[in-house]
Amino acid sequence: MWLVVLFSLLIGLIIGLKMPFLIPLLYAKYMSIAVLAALDSVFGGIRGYMEDGFDNIVFISGFIVNTLLAAGLAYLGDRLGVELYMAAVVVFGVRIFQNLGVIRRYLLKKY
Amino acid sequence: MRTRGAQATIAVVCLVLGIMIAIQFKTTTTYNEQYPQERVEVLAEKLKSVTSERDAMAEEVLSLRSQLNNVRENNQATADLQDELQRNSLFAGLLPVKGAGVIITVNDIPRNMQNGDNPNSFIVHDQDLLFLVNELKASGAEAISINGERITAMSEIRCAGTMILVNTNRIAPPFVMKAVGNPDMLVSGMELQGGWLGTMRLLGYPIHVQKSSKIEMDAYNGKIKFTYVTPVEHTEKAER
Repeated sequence: MWLVVLFSLLIGLIIGLKMPFLIPLLYAKYMSIAVLAALDSVFGGIRGYMEDGFDNIVFISGFIVNTLLAAGLAYLGDRLGVELYMAAVVVFGVRIFQNLGVIRRYLLKKY
Repeated sequence: MRTRGAQATIAVVCLVLGIMIAIQFKTTTTYNEQYPQERVEVLAEKLKSVTSERDAMAEEVLSLRSQLNNVRENNQATADLQDELQRNSLFAGLLPVKGAGVIITVNDIPRNMQNGDNPNSFIVHDQDLLFLVNELKASGAEAISINGERITAMSEIRCAGTMILVNTNRIAPPFVMKAVGNPDMLVSGMELQGGWLGTMRLLGYPIHVQKSSKIEMDAYNGKIKFTYVTPVEHTEKAER
């Protein structure tokens, strides 16, 4: 399981680094929020997997929708003059740490 | 539910995540490298060289002007012409002058900015100075300077970003406007009801008006260059 995660992540990183393609500076901020949301989804998925509550549909839809929604909200916030991306950063940050905590506890229990 | 399918899904999503992270990483490092450091340094270097160039040219102007003065002094035969020249130089602001007049000091409104305050309403603008200079002229000023920059017929007062340019030199608050002329006339002309000085005072700008019996002013020290204009030749002397 962990091998699968690390291996695919590594391959993704390599593909991304080889891509001759940059985000315009204007949208780099939204991309960073999207990355954060994606990270959150993945950790949530791993946690679900370890808790035996993993659902394919929930996981994939959560990944796609969260990512797009986070970037979209940040964009909307900029249009409205409200720093909505801060909300996304806080929410996803907190959730990532929570999920990491749960995963760590599971691992400790297991080994 | 720990199926092969779940693992495959996680693998695919991790792949996408990896690509996103890599692209974002690359973007961030590239822009950080490209803009803040390199550009700022290049521009600072350019500014430095241009500034030193300008200083050198200003020195050249001064030396040329002193040469011109020598020529004028040596030539006593043309006293009339010299008088005329002096009058015109005074008019053009090319001679340092002194005399009675008024000193007006204008500064930005000293107030701590609150969130949501518009900084524009606290600073002295180029238009303010322009209006004040105009009113000084209308009140009979014979020579005007702002922060040592002599106002000539072709002087601009214009904002460039956060600064105000006069004779293409930057000036900053507090703005000390000196005007040579009849002090009483100048003061009453500036303090006319509804005048710009009163308006600015009403808006809260610290303004200080002081009559002075001896004001000294430098000459205009920029370049004088005519590229397009040539005088029309007179066959008859213009009537006065």
